[in-house]
Amino acid sequence: MASKSLVTVCLLMIAGFGLRAQDLAPGFSGIDLQTGDQINLADYRGRVVYLDFWASWCLPCLVSLPAYQQLHADHQSDDWIIVAVNVDEDTRDGLDFLEGVSVTYPVIADTEGEIGIPYGIRSLPVSFLIDQQGMIVRRYRGFESGDEVEIFADIQELVNN
Amino acid sequence: MTQTYRLAALLLLMVLPDLALAATCSCAGTPLMGALNTSTTEQGDLYFSLTSEFHEISDLVQGRKQIDDETGRERSSLSQALAFSYGLSDRWALSGLFTYIEHEREVRSSFFGSKQRTSGLGDSVLMLRYTPLYITPFSRHELSLGMGARLPIGKDDAGGLIRFSEDMQPGTGAAGAILWGQHRLAFNQAATRTLTSSIFYTRNNWENERDYAFGHQLVAGVDFIQNLNTRFSYAAGLRYQHTTSDRRLGFEVPNTGGQWLDFTPAFNYSLDNGLDINLSGRIPLDRKLDGAIQFTTSYSYALSLTYGF
Repeated sequence: MASKSLVTVCLLMIAGFGLRAQDLAPGFSGIDLQTGDQINLADYRGRVVYLDFWASWCLPCLVSLPAYQQLHADHQSDDWIIVAVNVDEDTRDGLDFLEGVSVTYPVIADTEGEIGIPYGIRSLPVSFLIDQQGMIVRRYRGFESGDEVEIFADIQELVNN
Repeated sequence: MTQTYRLAALLLLMVLPDLALAATCSCAGTPLMGALNTSTTEQGDLYFSLTSEFHEISDLVQGRKQIDDETGRERSSLSQALAFSYGLSDRWALSGLFTYIEHEREVRSSFFGSKQRTSGLGDSVLMLRYTPLYITPFSRHELSLGMGARLPIGKDDAGGLIRFSEDMQPGTGAAGAILWGQHRLAFNQAATRTLTSSIFYTRNNWENERDYAFGHQLVAGVDFIQNLNTRFSYAAGLRYQHTTSDRRLGFEVPNTGGQWLDFTPAFNYSLDNGLDINLSGRIPLDRKLDGAIQFTTSYSYALSLTYGF
């Protein structure tokens, strides 16, 4: 456990914080917490990906997850997809949270930061808009009710390009 | 000629209480670090803070022992500080501080009891910070290091023909070098309980125009901070300060310098619009002051407003 923490600390010191627009989105894969399906970012090449990091203790996530679910339900299309990454230390906390906030888009767990550290996340919620070529187009820090309108406009703009 | 003598006598009487108690205040310059904004920043983040800090400096102390002040002296300082912190990158940040200082001293029991008040721009601080390690959902540790300078851009000639003592000047009149370090430990992943340890050292090697230099100052603090909810948090801490004697012409000024241990409670309330309101205080627990006798801080409190862009 101690050596794992040390590795995490070293990774954080080495990793470039706060990936910006025009950076290549770091690849990742994982198991969907709800369906058990294998999720791989590379499989979504050619589609716009809205990648959202969240945790059960993140209070704005109580607002953002239902808002994203509404977007997903209202505008479902093969052109874009929401992928969520739960960073709770204990995945059961994330699953408990999902019992209250029903989400039908893919959710994968990242308890050790294997996904989050390369993306340089520091606070939650934080999301990344990834274009069809796998490039990060924009990073969104925090969430307030109504932000989903601007986010979906950005997604549409990419889809229509 | 008689008129000249009268004028001279009047001037002497006006400054006598000041001369009698000159440079005996252990405020060691107006404290600046408490108002410096050291918020964790990401690239492009900008924070502004406005802090109003009041210091009552009327305790008369001999070594460790508080003694009765028969001079009936009252001494206080009020500082207004405008601070900023800007994230140059995700690891580098620039912090700055500008101050406006008011000093007041009243001696009631002297033969010609007097009240003196000085005010003006005080010293400024500019500090470059490097944060190699942040608290994130995957790391419970944050480490920040900084170095900078105290800039003597303020007023240090208050008093006109016969200047007031150094501790009554809004600014120190001399530059100082600053080293700073801070470590934060989060007790949970959400970082709602943290322990912050910090150290702040000011090296005052330079003398002002009057060949006076304040003592070197080391301040070390430890604060436990608990967020009760998204809006309200409280902190309780200990603050240790060690200041060496002031120097004039390279010689130690008597009755300056010492060690202080304070309790530092604080409360913070966050509003929806990104504004934070912070109320903090300093209550002496122990002190060991150099020399025969010194006036020193009885208590202090500060109200701070911080806005993040």
